[in-house]
Amino acid sequence: MAMTKQQARWAMAKKGFLDMLPLNLAVLPWGILCGSLAIQRDFSVLEALLMPLIVFAGSAQLVAIELIANNASLATILFTTFIISSRHFLYGLALRDKLKLLPTNWRYGLGFLLTDELFALSGHSKAFVGQLRLVYALIAGGSFYLFWLLWNVTGVIAGSYLPDLTHLGLDFAIAVTFIALVIPTIINLPILVTVIVAGVLSVLFKLMAFELDLVAAALVAMYCGYLTDRLQQKNRSKSDNIMPVLPEKP
Amino acid sequence: MTLLTIFLMAVITFSTRYLFIHPRLPVRLGAKMAKLLSFSAPAVLTAIWVPIIFVQKGQLNLALNNPYLIAATFAILAAAKSKSVYLTMIVGLISFVISRYMLTL
Repeated sequence: MAMTKQQARWAMAKKGFLDMLPLNLAVLPWGILCGSLAIQRDFSVLEALLMPLIVFAGSAQLVAIELIANNASLATILFTTFIISSRHFLYGLALRDKLKLLPTNWRYGLGFLLTDELFALSGHSKAFVGQLRLVYALIAGGSFYLFWLLWNVTGVIAGSYLPDLTHLGLDFAIAVTFIALVIPTIINLPILVTVIVAGVLSVLFKLMAFELDLVAAALVAMYCGYLTDRLQQKNRSKSDNIMPVLPEKP
Repeated sequence: MTLLTIFLMAVITFSTRYLFIHPRLPVRLGAKMAKLLSFSAPAVLTAIWVPIIFVQKGQLNLALNNPYLIAATFAILAAAKSKSVYLTMIVGLISFVISRYMLTL
């Protein structure tokens, strides 16, 4: 039985919600930390809420709260925010050819919602193509926005009553979610090389306290994956030239 | 002052996300660039999760009794075998709780 348009949309919305749900739950400790840290550092409730509402970026929020509380200069705060957010350039570039075609409102909306988490769910070759996949992206990205807000509000209300959940090992939740999303995508050697290089370099750069650690590790890893792919193709075309074409069996 | 700072931060986070999906931006991605960018998801996401496993409080932890490492190993096996996000999370979180508990006894 064919689904009606309405049912198909509903099914995609549900899939978007369920696919994002693990990520929505995994960021609970950070959301609460962001909210409660803002209150502990003497932010007003309005300021603490504007962070998730309009900045909407976990790591940038955390770092900026500490910088603002320590009276860092505006230039320092904005520059740090820029460095932490620079990985988003990669997401925009990777999705450019699909998202640039969208109507203005969708483009602004999904652009605003383009977090690490939504990008992680955008790997499908036809992501954002067609109305149903847009519904999927909107519900996935939108539910992440609402959950992020919810956890931040919880942190604002709880203030200092809750212990720092990120030191309880709850940061493992985000790691295991990304493991679950990345490992099944390793379907060939170039991607395996990418993952290994990204893993080794990200740890090295983090230990060196290199500010662009994430982006630098990712860029080098992408290039290594790309080179592996080129090398494979070269070898393949070489062996195609040498190998005689076998006659087909009857 | 803090309100202005927050507003400007929002401008930055939105711009970094939106810039390259703006249609009028004169950027055209060739086949090579598209191929390179096809590796961005595994690269960035891995660069996010691997440091959580191996770096704690700024220190490298390669010990075999690192609960993060033990649980990540089980999670990777579960992900490779099942390709299910939910099953992988359950396996990962349970092995994390168990190995943390056992190692602090």
